Amino acid sequence: MNKYTDVLIIGAGLSGLMAAAKAAEQGKEVMLVAKGMGAVGLSSGCIDLWGYNLEDPNQVCQDPLAEIARLCAVNPQHPYARVRDVLEESLLFFRRVCQENGNPYLDHRGGNWLLPTALGTLRPTYLAPASMAVGDLQQVRGVLVVGFRELKDFYPDVLAANLKKSGVLQADCPLNTLMVCAGGGELTPNTLAYRLENPAVVDRIVDQIKPHLLPGAVLLLPPVLGERWDSQVAKNLAEKLGHPVYEVTNIPPALPGQRLQQMLLHHVKGQGVEVVIGCTVNGARVADKRCTEVLATGAGKPIKISAKTVILATGSFLGGGLESKPGKAWESIFGLPVETGHEKWSARDFLSMAGHLFNQMGIKVNEHLRPVDKTGEVIIENVMVTGANLAGCNHPIEKCGNGVAVASGYKAGKLAGEVGE
Amino acid sequence: MSSDHRLALDNCIKCSICVSHCPVARVTDKFAGPKQNGPDLERFRLEEPAAVHPSIGYCTNCKGCDVVCPSGVAVSAMNCRARGEYVSMHGAPLRDKILARVDRMGKAARLAPSLVNRLAGLRPLRLLAEKMLGISAAMTMPRYAQKTFLELYKPQNVGDTGRKVLYYPGCYVNYNAPEVGLALAEVLAHNNIRVEVEQFDCCGLPLIANGLLDTARDQAKKNLAKLQGYINRGYDIVTTCPSCHLTLRQEYRELFQLNTDPLHEKMLDVFEYLSVLLQQGKLVTRFEELPLQVGYHQPCHLKAAGCGVPSREILQLIPGLRVADLDAGCCGLAGTYGFKKEKYAISQAIGSNVFNAVKELGVRQVISECGMCQLQIHHLTGVAVYHPLQVLAQACGHGKWLAK
Ligand SMILES: Cc1cc2nc3c(=O)[nH]c(=O)nc-3n(C[C@H](O)[C@H](O)[C@H](O)COP(=O)(O)OP(=O)(O)OC[C@H]3O[C@@H](n4cnc5c(N)ncnc54)[C@H](O)[C@@H]3O)c2cc1C
Ligand code: SF4
Ligand code: SF4
Repeated sequence: MNKYTDVLIIGAGLSGLMAAAKAAEQGKEVMLVAKGMGAVGLSSGCIDLWGYNLEDPNQVCQDPLAEIARLCAVNPQHPYARVRDVLEESLLFFRRVCQENGNPYLDHRGGNWLLPTALGTLRPTYLAPASMAVGDLQQVRGVLVVGFRELKDFYPDVLAANLKKSGVLQADCPLNTLMVCAGGGELTPNTLAYRLENPAVVDRIVDQIKPHLLPGAVLLLPPVLGERWDSQVAKNLAEKLGHPVYEVTNIPPALPGQRLQQMLLHHVKGQGVEVVIGCTVNGARVADKRCTEVLATGAGKPIKISAKTVILATGSFLGGGLESKPGKAWESIFGLPVETGHEKWSARDFLSMAGHLFNQMGIKVNEHLRPVDKTGEVIIENVMVTGANLAGCNHPIEKCGNGVAVASGYKAGKLAGEVGE
Repeated sequence: MSSDHRLALDNCIKCSICVSHCPVARVTDKFAGPKQNGPDLERFRLEEPAAVHPSIGYCTNCKGCDVVCPSGVAVSAMNCRARGEYVSMHGAPLRDKILARVDRMGKAARLAPSLVNRLAGLRPLRLLAEKMLGISAAMTMPRYAQKTFLELYKPQNVGDTGRKVLYYPGCYVNYNAPEVGLALAEVLAHNNIRVEVEQFDCCGLPLIANGLLDTARDQAKKNLAKLQGYINRGYDIVTTCPSCHLTLRQEYRELFQLNTDPLHEKMLDVFEYLSVLLQQGKLVTRFEELPLQVGYHQPCHLKAAGCGVPSREILQLIPGLRVADLDAGCCGLAGTYGFKKEKYAISQAIGSNVFNAVKELGVRQVISECGMCQLQIHHLTGVAVYHPLQVLAQACGHGKWLAK
């Protein structure tokens, strides 16, 4: 099988989906192929931009955009330095797409949200889906943490105890916990979310919560309030209770990340993008510094795809975009070079504050996101690289994973849209 | 156990992406899910075949897990093998043995199709079948055609393009929906291509889905040998059923270690075949206007083939036709699954997304390649459901292909 398209995007993660949405908006014929789903479905669903102060990594950063401007000055190798020109524009685009699809994302007056996690710690993030955007916890007049008997991996008492310790609440703020029952059994987050789509089940939950509500309290629940991106479960629950309810972040797989992924897939399909998941790209033909053809297989069958522009959004080691053996790492489709340095790839401590070197490995690009060699020379002219594939960022520590994916995906889609006939 | 299989097992990074996309695990807690039934338990099954979770019977073999897995783990193949092991140890209920032989049911129904159709609509009889056999009384039964496709098909006299095409119709088209095979013949005749037909065995998917792997393997060998004969004689093989297609090309290799490499090049979905003609400038693109708005449902097994939606490019050539993707995931029927009494409710719960999407888009016709999806969508929504080939045949201008 041979296929032809203007823009071929390899990878269905956040950066690939953003690239597809932007390129399609500019009228290009777009095809998106991916081996499987991306990391956004595993993520909290929040868009981290920049978490902590450059000088003092223990301080939550108050103005991520300004901090990124400073970062680009001191660390011009960071991916943000390649996408700074479109950073704000890309965030507006992302929010517009989310808004139009009924899954609005909110910012916190230009600063970072401090959102509670299932462990009762607070995590900074830049954009949060409306169902997670609980405002300043310092201000609230009461907190009720609600868990479900059916759900493992969420313990209201743990959340409450740590939240109390964190000192963020006012000293006299009542903090209570409650376990409710949604019909029994032992459920995964997805199955519980499916069950909660039934209004009768929500009514039963409301009956169980009501006697425990104090005036002015906010409710914190695990992220299971609704299956789909346009679900009304959180809204209905809040209305029936007459109290705001919020989902906290939890370990994967969490529904808010999945909702974002499904919403973006639905959006790009609606824009006419041909989406092929379950199709692995194994190699490419390159002549005169141009990719002429990409070689893929679907269920064992070879497919050749030709495109004017190819966007490499294959994620890093996790997604399969980068491969390695001891002492060596490379990009898996074009064999693009990946600098590994001479230090140890990982720190001894899993949660080391300095982060792991392997997270920073990736492909070097120029300001047009084209892959370059050590001397800065472009290696393949019609290929652009996005997201976790980019060298020089350490997203788990810096809290910038989805932010880099949004901005770089958007920029690649925009540049691809500008490629002439 | 082959070494690459072991390798695939170790590829699982336990991310649970498959679990969050499994349509069955989504709606019921009776199923332990793809990760646990697949790579997790496979580790134990390598040592102890009896370590099969009984909930394995709840997997519909939709292959959604394979498609979304970022690490390329063949979860559904592990599940199929495990179900085979379970059935070989515990036996299969009579009901499953009956449902799995769609070819035999088709042959038996040929004696008196109208009578069979009438009986299948009789409530008391259906209740009896539910009680005695466990076949859901609520699910719509497929109707048998008066004559099979092979009986109805008359090779047409067309000009000679030198192209040799053999059609593998599959049981559903042959016994239940011969109009799809006839539409294929019509479309190819429009392009001066004559279709050859041949008596094949059932591809074996219903057997595989019910854990009856030995019988399926025998049929696989026979089918593959016949297809290979045609390939040797320079034929392209076309299919119209995505499930037959995937079974012949992928399951024969993954489950029975048969060599299906020749099929990758030579066996094509009919719309892939037409796309090749289009790319070579050989497709007759003279189409009549069809002012229609239809919803499109992509069958799971077409998704799993990893080649996109082959009909998309061709249908775009028909003036007036507007196709809107339902984008609603699995329809829930999964071949014989939704006919089982204890699975019917699950099957309908999975399909509710399709129902919602049809309602939301407000379409009155839906197209989908898989006969079983067609049946389920009609059962769920009451709208008319066609194979995309019927729409294309209609646009070719001869006959009425969209009358139901
Ligand atoms: C568990 C986890 C939690 C996270 N939580 C957060 C969070 O809360 N907030 C935040 O901001 N960031 C978070 N991140 C980071 C962030 O999600 C990622 O950095 C970002 O989503 C990366 O997106 P991407 O598009 O670059 O790649 P990915 O999402 O990794 O997507 C890669 C895609 O490429 C495909 N692919 C790979 N190789 C091939 C091939 N050869 N052929 C075809 N397709 C291929 C894959 O199947 C996949 O679809 C988290 C990451 C992880 C792993
Ligand atoms: S089988 Fe694939 S999708 Fe499922 S947990 Fe393992 S790696 Fe993840
Ligand atoms: S094949 Fe379908 S039903 Fe079976 S485990 Fe995989 S996703 Fe679930």
